[in-house]
Amino acid sequence: MKAVVVVAHPDPASFTHAASLRVRRGLEAAGHSVEVIDLTAIDYPGALRPDEWRAYESETPVLDPTVAAHIELVRAAEALVFVYPTWWSSIPAVMKAWFERTFVPGVAFVLDPRTRRVRPALGHVRHLVGVTTYGSPRWYVKLVNDNGRRTIARTLRIATGRGTRVTWLPMYSLDGHDEAARAAFLDRVERTMGGLR
Amino acid sequence: MFAHPDRGSFGGAVLDRVLAGLSRSGHEVRMRDLYAEGYESRLSLDEKRHHLASPDTKPQLARDFDDLRWAETLVLVHPTWWGAQPAILKGWIDRAWACGVAWELPEGAKRLKPTLSNVRRIATFTTHGSPWRVNALQGVPGRRIANRSLRVICHPLCRTRWVAFYGTDSSTAERRSRYLARVERAAARL
Repeated sequence: MKAVVVVAHPDPASFTHAASLRVRRGLEAAGHSVEVIDLTAIDYPGALRPDEWRAYESETPVLDPTVAAHIELVRAAEALVFVYPTWWSSIPAVMKAWFERTFVPGVAFVLDPRTRRVRPALGHVRHLVGVTTYGSPRWYVKLVNDNGRRTIARTLRIATGRGTRVTWLPMYSLDGHDEAARAAFLDRVERTMGGLR
Repeated sequence: MFAHPDRGSFGGAVLDRVLAGLSRSGHEVRMRDLYAEGYESRLSLDEKRHHLASPDTKPQLARDFDDLRWAETLVLVHPTWWGAQPAILKGWIDRAWACGVAWELPEGAKRLKPTLSNVRRIATFTTHGSPWRVNALQGVPGRRIANRSLRVICHPLCRTRWVAFYGTDSSTAERRSRYLARVERAAARL
């Protein structure tokens, strides 16, 4: 299986990056091929550009070679894995920018020219995975509705289809956990990723 | 807070009517056009390291902090993309709603303490490409970010308003103009 792992955290020494290493290790140990997109490392832009917005509904919505390369990876992927810290109940802005630039018409969905309705186009993705840390405890995350999870497990899943499995690996109350609990979480991440089929 | 890449778009027309409505009611308005400013949406490594430090450690955000402390009503005008606010607006939330401005974390506390009690109203004016039922299926994350995640940081009695347009991709000129009239009425009533 081919997996694309998207990572968004400004600090390369962060727990998020530690988790992304274990994601890769787990997947590779199970014989999967892994492409990691570390948005900070590649200095990924933080917003959809005005010229990209204008091109969005044209025949050629992709203007940037990096975006084109990421789209090639996504088109070949059977698993999409998102590793990020939850900020204001959702994904960091730079990951949102990656969604906006990568999942353009023709990639995530196709717009039926007659009915103007959206049809899913990511049917080849069998697994959607979220690995995320929360500053808040679980009850609070549920109260504000866990909007990162909604973006990945519901909004993006509309483009992948009903057959796609969602795996969610949350670390709640990050700062309230000791080293042992953090290590146990990383072990669980690696184990779970190794178990994806 | 305006977050649309094209001031001349339908989203820009929505902003015009929001401003018209607000000025009709005599409110004092500060308008931020994030795209026109070229706003940096990415929280930097330095900002992350100063996550729990005073706002003085982030002079680059001084204007954002000042606006947040000044406002009694927060008005968000944006298209909804992938169910939520555009990245550039999410970035403003990630960076500007900082320690010492929007919240504090007192010594030994497990949860942050909201401090943005000057904000008594959050109003969103947003356009969706897809129909209402698609957004319902998505779980309306954008609405919940504004009306829950941000709302709990503001005044305990802070009220929220959501004035949304759905199905832009298949809309008629008549429906759009009805929505614009509704936007102006709603803004004037804030």
